[in-house]
Amino acid sequence: MGWRFGESTVVHPLPIGVSRRAGEGEAVLAGDAIATGTIYGTPVRLSGARRLGLAPQDLARVMRVAPGAEVERGAILARTGRRFARAVTAPFDGRIAHIRADGDIELAPIVDRWVVRAVIDGTVTSTSDLEVVVAGEAWCLQGVAAYGPDAIGDLALLADGPSDEIVPSRIDVTQRDRILVGGGRSGPEAIARAHACGVAAVVAGAVPAAGLRAIFGDDVSAHGQVLRGDAPTVLCLAGFGTSALPESLYSPLRVFAGSRAAIHTASARLFVFAASEAAAIPATSPSLALSTDWGAVRALDGRVTIEPDVRFASEVLASGVATEAGPVPATNVLPVGAAR
Amino acid sequence: MTSATGIVAPVEVDQSAITIGTPVRLALLAGDDAELAMARRVALASCADVVLSLRASGGGSLLERAAALRDARADAVLIAAGSGGDDLAEAVRLAYGDAAHPLILVAAPDRARERQVAALAGFDPQGVAPGTTDYGRDALVARVRALRRPSGDAYLRDESIEAAARALAIATARSLVLVDVESEATTLAFSAADGTSFAASAHVGIGANADRVVARAGLDRVRRWVPRAVDGPALLDRVFNRARWPQAVPGTPLALAIEMAIARECIAYVLAQLEATGVDLAPLRAAKTIVCTGTPAGWPRPQQCVMTVLDALAPTAVHAIVRDNGDALVRAGARASRGSADVLTTVRPVAIVAAMPPRRSFDVTVTDASGAVDTRVTRGALVLVPTHGAVELRVNGTLEATASELELGVIIDARGRPLVLPARDAERLPALARWTTALSVLPQDPV
Repeated sequence: MGWRFGESTVVHPLPIGVSRRAGEGEAVLAGDAIATGTIYGTPVRLSGARRLGLAPQDLARVMRVAPGAEVERGAILARTGRRFARAVTAPFDGRIAHIRADGDIELAPIVDRWVVRAVIDGTVTSTSDLEVVVAGEAWCLQGVAAYGPDAIGDLALLADGPSDEIVPSRIDVTQRDRILVGGGRSGPEAIARAHACGVAAVVAGAVPAAGLRAIFGDDVSAHGQVLRGDAPTVLCLAGFGTSALPESLYSPLRVFAGSRAAIHTASARLFVFAASEAAAIPATSPSLALSTDWGAVRALDGRVTIEPDVRFASEVLASGVATEAGPVPATNVLPVGAAR
Repeated sequence: MTSATGIVAPVEVDQSAITIGTPVRLALLAGDDAELAMARRVALASCADVVLSLRASGGGSLLERAAALRDARADAVLIAAGSGGDDLAEAVRLAYGDAAHPLILVAAPDRARERQVAALAGFDPQGVAPGTTDYGRDALVARVRALRRPSGDAYLRDESIEAAARALAIATARSLVLVDVESEATTLAFSAADGTSFAASAHVGIGANADRVVARAGLDRVRRWVPRAVDGPALLDRVFNRARWPQAVPGTPLALAIEMAIARECIAYVLAQLEATGVDLAPLRAAKTIVCTGTPAGWPRPQQCVMTVLDALAPTAVHAIVRDNGDALVRAGARASRGSADVLTTVRPVAIVAAMPPRRSFDVTVTDASGAVDTRVTRGALVLVPTHGAVELRVNGTLEATASELELGVIIDARGRPLVLPARDAERLPALARWTTALSVLPQDPV
């Protein structure tokens, strides 16, 4: 499956410390804040139920502020008694992070705040302290792997054709906050320069795996890596090393240039917010063929020819698919966007 | 003395629904290093992905632990802590709050378990005896495997492998190690002749999880096994592409050599994990029979799977090497896991391997249907003596092994243990080329 227009669902996981989150049914646009929260410092454990002489389950009854509330130094967190009162007070400005099962209170200072933004135009379909789910209609293209934080910006085409490489010298600060689309390949130099210039994300057919390691570290895998904070965002559409994009994938990108778009890293999807009739999609889905030595990915547009019982140089006997460079094993050919 | 007699030609077996199952992300919260090792053993036995390991004695605030748990997106959390377990239970409460939570398993001594289960009321925690007991470990493994099983009538591949190893060891009355390397997972199962067994599985493989091998073992450890000059970045591209084309097959000798290299490191990784949990690998390396299943068993040449297990397992004695016949053994193991099955007819004897100490040269006599062949084996050599019909192996005149028909023959491995590969390409590549040529492992590259 290549480009498609339809409803997509995006799950936005939330960190600990949620202060506010969008409610179910709320309409959001890509880039809107759907949840905000606080980043905690080292918490302090305050004696709660024990200090007040209560059973842990009775603490909630005498709490003066709710769990999760922000409090100032000296604020009474819980209090019991009238004439001979006992109270638990906040020793510093912070937030009640947690009430322990034994009735103790974890108070943590606030050191920063976080924001989670929607990656798709749509409606919030479910929400909890763990995640916010948004569903909406958009053009969607499934990639092979994505790296970095989610990204939102206008699409800008940086390559002249589906097999062109993104050249670092063509990237500058005028492309700030844009999602740059290359052709067949983007090297680590281009990605690093794009990030330095404030580019939101880079989309390319293939990125060298060693380049991804240089940018994201040695733990990077072929299945993508979701990051928070300041890091480049990269979406590989075809594979790793070198490739050329199928024309049927690349030509809609020409049409979409200038449109609002977003990349959801966890699912390696590119969303483009354009009208459903904005682009024409060919009836036959394009395929990606992994070369016999696994070193490159070749685009196959249209139908393919199967050759039964091909004896490859490795002596493996398998069905083959005819390509310009000779047959490749049929199992090495997958439709674009296939479940892997 | 090792004998491969009794292993006969393959027969048809029924198809079964065998699956690697749904990957389970497991978070381990342990009190100390010993409890963490026990929890890792459970993870290995149940083929769960360890996505987080925390120790109560390892420092970190409650919030840091809870945040780590939240980020780990675990499907199951195993709390294995006698002391310090209360703090870990609090981290679980904070991480999941009132939202949907994963399966919580509490494996601790009675009083600590009761306290932790009470603290986690509302999370439906399952209390289990500590994993230090066989009963407790089996119960934990069963619960994690149940999460992986897509339906009640599905057979998990690693479970089938373990049952196959046990059944085959009992049937042949010999200790056995079964090596299964697949696209997504690698399983090692050891069974003594009396059927006592253990298995270890990890989500590292030669297909969809090939990239994990590189991430965990290191690119250089994979590259060192490739008997061709290939630079690191090019190898990494190939491994990453292979991971995203899970069913791809190698079309060139180089790709096949890379697949073999990844398979070696998959096996080495599981062995290292086992060793890290305190399991003694000596009985496993001395097992009388080595069985290959999965993708290596189906490689075009039998010597390819033999070479892979020889290098990765580093066996130390005289062994019969057999290979599965199109997953027939795995299917028989699936049946054996829920009843009984004839496993003897599902494997093909490939070779007898004699791992000899490289201290001095020695004389080997291999007798088969064509007569006796005397060979003098020098230090560091790897020798294949092809055979036809019944085989007898004598080393310095002493009878070491007999076998019925072998696909390949007798292999004498005098390279020494542990097997050391030269660090520099200029020395390593000729050594690898010598070994692969000795066994005719790879076809020639097309000109």
